[in-house]
Amino acid sequence: MLALDIHDLTMRFDGLDAPVLAIDRLHVKAGSRVAVTGASGSGKSTLVHLLTGLERPKAGSIRWGGSDLGRLSTGRRDAFRARNIGLVMQDFHLFPGLSALENVLLPVRLGWRMTPDMRKRALALLDITGIARAGQPVETLSRGEMQRVAVARALLLKPSVIIADEPTASLDRRAGEDVSALLVRLAGEEGATLIVVTHDPALLTRLDRHIHLDGGRIVEDVRGEAAR
Amino acid sequence: MIGFILADLRRFKGGALAVVVLIALSLALSVTVTLQERALRLGSARAAEKFDLVVGAAGSETQLALSAVFLQPAPLPLMSGSVLADLASDPRVAFAAPVGFGDSASGHPVVGTTTALIEALSPKLAQGALFAHLGDAVVGSDVGMPIGGQIKPMHGDGESGGPVHTELAYTVRGRMAPTGTAWDRAILVPIRAVWQLHGMHGGGDDHDEDDDDHHPDDEGAQAGDATAAGPVAGAAQDKAPGLADAGGDRDHEGHAHHHHGHVDGNAPIDEHFDAQTPGIPAVLVKPRTIADAYKLRQHYRGDTTLAIFPAEVLTRLYATLGDARSLLLAIAIATQGIVLAAVLMVTIMHVGARQRQIGALRAFGAPRYSVVAIVWGELILLFLLGAVLGVALGYAAARLISGSVAARTAVHMPIEFAPQDLRLLLGFLLASMLISLLPALLALRHSPAQALRA
Repeated sequence: MLALDIHDLTMRFDGLDAPVLAIDRLHVKAGSRVAVTGASGSGKSTLVHLLTGLERPKAGSIRWGGSDLGRLSTGRRDAFRARNIGLVMQDFHLFPGLSALENVLLPVRLGWRMTPDMRKRALALLDITGIARAGQPVETLSRGEMQRVAVARALLLKPSVIIADEPTASLDRRAGEDVSALLVRLAGEEGATLIVVTHDPALLTRLDRHIHLDGGRIVEDVRGEAAR
Repeated sequence: MIGFILADLRRFKGGALAVVVLIALSLALSVTVTLQERALRLGSARAAEKFDLVVGAAGSETQLALSAVFLQPAPLPLMSGSVLADLASDPRVAFAAPVGFGDSASGHPVVGTTTALIEALSPKLAQGALFAHLGDAVVGSDVGMPIGGQIKPMHGDGESGGPVHTELAYTVRGRMAPTGTAWDRAILVPIRAVWQLHGMHGGGDDHDEDDDDHHPDDEGAQAGDATAAGPVAGAAQDKAPGLADAGGDRDHEGHAHHHHGHVDGNAPIDEHFDAQTPGIPAVLVKPRTIADAYKLRQHYRGDTTLAIFPAEVLTRLYATLGDARSLLLAIAIATQGIVLAAVLMVTIMHVGARQRQIGALRAFGAPRYSVVAIVWGELILLFLLGAVLGVALGYAAARLISGSVAARTAVHMPIEFAPQDLRLLLGFLLASMLISLLPALLALRHSPAQALRA
């Protein structure tokens, strides 16, 4: 469980005058469940990339616990992400040709951190997420099932932080409900800080802090009951 | 890791297969060239090693070697039979065997010689016995005629349709063990039978009687005719078939007349030769020592005779072939270079198209080195498969070529790998390993964030 602290963060892209993202200060308590909303181009994706260390901030600091992502090299940011952050994307990014179980284990295998316990945990997670046959090729699953496999993958290493980018946007309403419930429940059970970019009202009601971005700035930050 | 690579390759089956086939074909080309050149060299060296020294009439060294070792039909000039007599009685000679070409039966060359040569070629016969009578024959291991079978020799090499000798039919008495040389396809008969069949009794008794009857056409210059022509090289080699057709029973269009003697197939063979011995195209000589071999060669290199070490002549011939091999190999290696470049291009495009997947791998926690390892590993796997397939294909092609050569000439051309082939293969694999690094490293060029956004 890690807390997030952002200070004086600005992110600009070449050829654009206005910064894509500019956050003076943001603190997210460890273990909280935060929604990020905003129109297209409001800087949500950039925020996700910065929070996960996929991109390095050009100015300012992003701290997860004691680690300042801006000061880590690419390799160490990759390692930090692999160890601490579970990622769920809108379009799953599962690898066809591999089974559900293999997909859950893939990042661990590719990082040479595979252990027998890992396999047990993967099977347990697939069970929890409701995937009946762990050996089933992932491309034969329904979209809802695919996203649940992705959730299991994100949780495998007991990450301190789970970041989801529009996890329900490409699912139908019912599958979206299932995934939302699962994501929030498991993040709670695992004690992970959960940050979700979403417009899904059903998912929003499950999260207890809503941050609204507009033009790269936080224009609204609502907490507690008011958020629901 | 391997599982992922295999799953990935399965997804791109068609492309992967095309790349493997491309690599395999280019490599097969070099493998075939290398193996076949070696087979040719080894095969003919082995075919020549039975014949230490060949003495013939002055003429082409290469032709003499090719005729004696590969039984290649060619118009060899004749030399005096006294050369054979001298060689046979020379203390430096273990044995000297005359060879007389010219006839054939069912496409097999009929070679007149002595039992000494048969014993040299096949110390133990596979079947039957040596010839003891003029009408006996010993066949090579590839000649499909049964013991006791009759052979009607035909004048010429069988393709130009010469007349059949009706005076004598040989009876197969023995079969040689396989020698891996052209002699496996030969039918060996007593040299005196060949002489008599062609009306040569030695001493130049009956020739040059009616030049009017002589057709100076090219057919007349064939090996067979030349062999049968006359006892003295000088008298016969230019107008080979200068013989009277004593029987008058044959006058085929386009063919010279032959003097057909009467041959008693039951007469015992006589393998003693003297100065009256009829002319012969070549004598195969087994010298007693290496020093003797050189002395003999020196002695018989003269105005009228020629002495060669066939192995040496062939080596010289293959030195020329070696240049051809270098050229072929250079072309084959250039082909590999083109294929490598093509594979590189395909992979770089492929990696570009997969930026998203590669970015996702990194986003979900795969370290950079494993991304490099995946792209690299996929390529290496394709190269390895291509290499295995290519070597197998090249080997198979070389075997096929050798097989067809053996079927035609009976010269066994062994397809063997040599240690330096391994170097060639390792060089290829090393090059492919280095080249595969390029697309692998290119896979890291885009940031995963860019890749995921696309």
